[in-house]
Amino acid sequence: MVSFTIDGLEVTAPQNAMLVDAAKHGDVEIPVFCYEPKLGAPVGACRMCLVEIEGIPKLQTGCSTPVKDGMVVHTQTDRVRQAQEAVVEFLLINHPLDCPVCDKGGECPLQDISFGWGGGRSRFIEPKRHFQKPLALSPLIAIDRERCILCYRCVRFSQELSEDYQLVLEERGAHTYVATFDGHPYVAPFSGNIIELCPVGALTSQPYRFRARPWDIEGAGSVCTLCPAQCNVTFTVRDERVLRVLARDHAEVDDGWLCDKGRFAYQAVHVDERVTHPMIRDGGELRRVTWERALAEAGAALRRAKGRVGAIVGGETTNEEGFLLQRLMREGLDSGDLDSRQGGTLPLGLHRALAVPDAQATVPDLEFAHAVLVLDTEPVDDMPIVDLRLRKGVRRHGVKLAVATSRPSSLDPNARASIRYAPGAGEAFLRALGAALTPGGGDVDELAAGAGADAGAVRGLAQLLRSAGEDMVILYGERLVSGPRAAEAAQALLEVASALNVTGGREGAGLLCVPAGTNGRGLAEAGVLPNAGPGYAAVDGGRDAAAIADGARHGELTALYLLHADPLVELPGRDRWAEALERATTVVAHAAWLTEGLLEHATVVFPAESYAEKEGTITHPDGRLQRLRPAIGHPGETRAEWSVIADVARAVGLDLGVLTGPMATAQLADAVPFYAGLTLEEIGGKGVRWQTRAAAAALPAAEIQPASLQIAPSAAPANGRLRLGTYRSIWNAPEVRVSPSLQFLHPKLRLEIAPSDAQRLELFPGDHVVVGSDGHTVDATVAVRSTMPEGSVFLETNALEGPLVEVRRA
Amino acid sequence: MTKPLLLKGIDEPGLDTLEVYQRRGGYDALRKALSMTREEVLHELEVSGIRGRGGAGFAMGKKISFLPKGAIDKYLVCNADESEPGTFKDRELMQKNPHMLIEGMIIAAYAGGINRAFIYIRGEYELQAQKLEQAVEEAKRAAYLGEGILGSDHSLTLWVHRGAGAYICGEETALLDSLEGKRGNPRLKPPFPANQGLYQGPTLINNVETLATAPVIIRMGGEEYAKLGTAGSTGTKVVSVSGHVQRPGNYEVELGIPSREIIYGLAGGPPEGREVKLWFPGGSSAPVLTADDLDVPYDFDSLAKAGSMLGSGAIIVIDDSTPVVDVAMKTAKFYRHESCGKCTPCREGTNWTVKMLERIDSGEATPMDLDIMAAVQENIIGNCLCVLGDAMAMPIGSMILKFREEFEAHIEAARARNELATTDEAPPEALIQGAVA
Repeated sequence: MVSFTIDGLEVTAPQNAMLVDAAKHGDVEIPVFCYEPKLGAPVGACRMCLVEIEGIPKLQTGCSTPVKDGMVVHTQTDRVRQAQEAVVEFLLINHPLDCPVCDKGGECPLQDISFGWGGGRSRFIEPKRHFQKPLALSPLIAIDRERCILCYRCVRFSQELSEDYQLVLEERGAHTYVATFDGHPYVAPFSGNIIELCPVGALTSQPYRFRARPWDIEGAGSVCTLCPAQCNVTFTVRDERVLRVLARDHAEVDDGWLCDKGRFAYQAVHVDERVTHPMIRDGGELRRVTWERALAEAGAALRRAKGRVGAIVGGETTNEEGFLLQRLMREGLDSGDLDSRQGGTLPLGLHRALAVPDAQATVPDLEFAHAVLVLDTEPVDDMPIVDLRLRKGVRRHGVKLAVATSRPSSLDPNARASIRYAPGAGEAFLRALGAALTPGGGDVDELAAGAGADAGAVRGLAQLLRSAGEDMVILYGERLVSGPRAAEAAQALLEVASALNVTGGREGAGLLCVPAGTNGRGLAEAGVLPNAGPGYAAVDGGRDAAAIADGARHGELTALYLLHADPLVELPGRDRWAEALERATTVVAHAAWLTEGLLEHATVVFPAESYAEKEGTITHPDGRLQRLRPAIGHPGETRAEWSVIADVARAVGLDLGVLTGPMATAQLADAVPFYAGLTLEEIGGKGVRWQTRAAAAALPAAEIQPASLQIAPSAAPANGRLRLGTYRSIWNAPEVRVSPSLQFLHPKLRLEIAPSDAQRLELFPGDHVVVGSDGHTVDATVAVRSTMPEGSVFLETNALEGPLVEVRRA
Repeated sequence: MTKPLLLKGIDEPGLDTLEVYQRRGGYDALRKALSMTREEVLHELEVSGIRGRGGAGFAMGKKISFLPKGAIDKYLVCNADESEPGTFKDRELMQKNPHMLIEGMIIAAYAGGINRAFIYIRGEYELQAQKLEQAVEEAKRAAYLGEGILGSDHSLTLWVHRGAGAYICGEETALLDSLEGKRGNPRLKPPFPANQGLYQGPTLINNVETLATAPVIIRMGGEEYAKLGTAGSTGTKVVSVSGHVQRPGNYEVELGIPSREIIYGLAGGPPEGREVKLWFPGGSSAPVLTADDLDVPYDFDSLAKAGSMLGSGAIIVIDDSTPVVDVAMKTAKFYRHESCGKCTPCREGTNWTVKMLERIDSGEATPMDLDIMAAVQENIIGNCLCVLGDAMAMPIGSMILKFREEFEAHIEAARARNELATTDEAPPEALIQGAVA
């Protein structure tokens, strides 16, 4: 801390803080336009923050001058006031002052600063600068160049934050304007952030334009549940409708940014497609019924099927809902057949080993680590906001980034090392990496060949990681530890992590999993696993997702409970699930949309709440429990889902003992030893990482049997067939499909293929093809990607990775 | 009156070739410098007292001494983006004697422990760029450039980079951005280039003339050089004289001689029967001086005392045949066109000033507009990110101050002209209406 004087006040502020920030410690506000610390180093362009510093003849920009001990600063002298008034006057001479019809009016820094620091008059009587307006910068963003004050925050965001390099400044001087490169629409995963960055009404949200004014809206803080990033958001609410989503800056979760899905998919809350009343299947059709009827129907059917019920829980389920459901299943229906994972059972010991606090990295660790290994995940698709964090780490803190995936990654250009292996060969690749890291660990050449990876690159990666420094984070996708060999893959991961000393409890080092579902971590901890109860407690093993499908197919299970899940479209093994759903006598579903599987097979449908209506908690992949708070009331006949589960339980004769949402949270905290004593108040608006609480020690110790080296099945392609990999783009979500303004981004089924493979198969971009494996086929459109490794093709599906497929023209 | 050091024998045919340059003693200064230690060379440059010839007038030796010591990647950038209106000295130096600049750069790089150098030359200087490229090739072949120059441990790689012709790229940090392949916008200072310049590395940036003087200083010794000129402005300066003079051109003079000697003595003064009305002593960005200031000694300190600056050493003379409003308009339009648009006062202020001047010229202004215009210049000066805004505001401000009466007369004359035009046309229209009625 240093002490300095500002406007006669003695103030202490952190060392090296810029004057505009340091001044706040003395309750002095220095106005700014271009200064935004989130965008990196100050640029001093707008000149709004000029202040007088004793001993320096010229006025200095407060945004770029670090405070020094004993500095004497003035912000209220005539000289400063004249400069401030001059800058406001300059900024307004070409500004249209169309505040009455501007979306920003009422929440506009230019308005506020003109009022607070401007001279209140203009001497400018010349014609103003004119542009055609508004123009669509993209289908999501409108640009009004007349309102622009050229602070170029948006351009900096595009160039230095999201690194999509699409926004540029054209022309110069007073003719300068913000444009996109070559006039293309600015379509990028994070484009919407520039709307919030814009200090004037130059960039406005197309879906929000003219929908409300700041004085008739309310802000409601909650958490976005559309992906595992769980960004903190503020819903803008008017008349019980969500009209906008803004970032609710949380440095340890989202760094104040949102992806475009999180920003615009709120529209899905209010679309006609939403299910807002209970339904039961009657004469082959789903018909609207009363709650009493639906609950009675579900209760009777489940009671009949007691002991033969399987439950699939989707990723957007809250901890409380998951916890209550597993109680319903285990206590009320005598069934341990429930799963929240996409596939493959991990032994309990491995679950615990991956969850121990010592092995846990946090989101900020990604930014400050010496090295980060991105393993089998594409952050921009799987957990978008982390992509920005990784880029920031590389750009500002020199993080050594390594990427090991089967599909080319958008982070490749930022990485010191990028390595490819065959789809589905994550385990084999880890064995090869492990061998390269440990002297005498095995034959790297042979293991790398088995993984379809280049042995030299594996050795290079090992060398990079070994020499990078102690703070190392491995960011891995849950898909790595899914599938039939999930346990072996998890074991291999832990061994590599241990060889790199990532799991040794060092602060700043650890593992960070990108779960397949938003609340994957929370659901596992709440006990929604076939082989673990709340808090990873040992239970009698039940069926996992794949086994539930088989159980239903073979008639061993007669009822399925689908909590926010449609296995037909979300889980691997589509054919098996179609058969399972067909065969089950009862299919109870909580759903917001009638997706394919539910439309055809559900017997009882309860309307699901949207994330803007939910109350409860979810757990971030790094262990942060975050609180969802309802922003709007329930539309139609929708009810709180914890209460629906409690009602179903009552109908099958089980009293769950929850009368309010917080009671469910309290039950959860009692049941999970390492959540002990946790209350909603403690979680508050910023969440709390359970690993930082004393109760964290209650996580049962992990017992892993050191496994002997197991050679993973070879992944080398054969007979001209191609190895199938899968991915799920950021835009592949039901919310995107139903949101009017995002629909254009909803992906078509594409087959990504390497140029050489395309040439061999005589395929061209846009060709329609049939991709087949084991009698099952899908239609897709060819997309040739130059960075795609030869021998692999990628489809946007939920199929298991790894099988060899044939591709032929349709 | 002239004191040719840089311009000595500049018109000798073939001086742009290595052969002639060497025959005239070229690269001897480099040999001498390489026989000295880096510190000794730096010492000579420091005691010479030479101040930057590009416009800011910062002591060259001091600039080199700011570079961090040690074996890190450091850069030398020669600013050959000579864009200041009225300035054409670097063009002649590079075109006729490119090896002198290269020799100077090698010496400066040696003094600063620098191994990579660039010449950033404005795009319009195509011929000069070609000459430089040829000279660099010759110097490479003769082992003046490359690894272990002349058997010493000093290495230097030199590139010639063509700019695209933006005035702002002569501003040192904008030049660096442009050289890095970005839009040429000035950077915030600090950090100064000496700490974080090209590619974030310590960078020494000097003007062509400054660097070309280095061999002269090494040859004659810093102390000897410092005896030329005045105490605060040592040495000689190539002055570009243009405008209403009979013999425009480059003249190398000892700093401190009376300005009148340059304008009248060397350049022959304005044409017969004309008087000097105003003159820019240091390029179009210097506040203007009048005929009353002709006896001001031509050096950094005296011109600053007279309220202007030596700048790039370009004298533009305007005689009494030209209205001051035209001069102001030409000047303001140039800076409006060249403003990069990054900072507010320059972007908006230059544009506003031009619009006001246009109104003055078209007779739609009042004397009050002169007050506003003067206030706008004051609001620009000192408030910008770089000095481009000041470069317009200072001369325009000085013109309004010194020629206010002429501005007012111009407004009045233009207004009267307009009135005459409207009254001439109005009666027939009224008559026609009357006839119809």
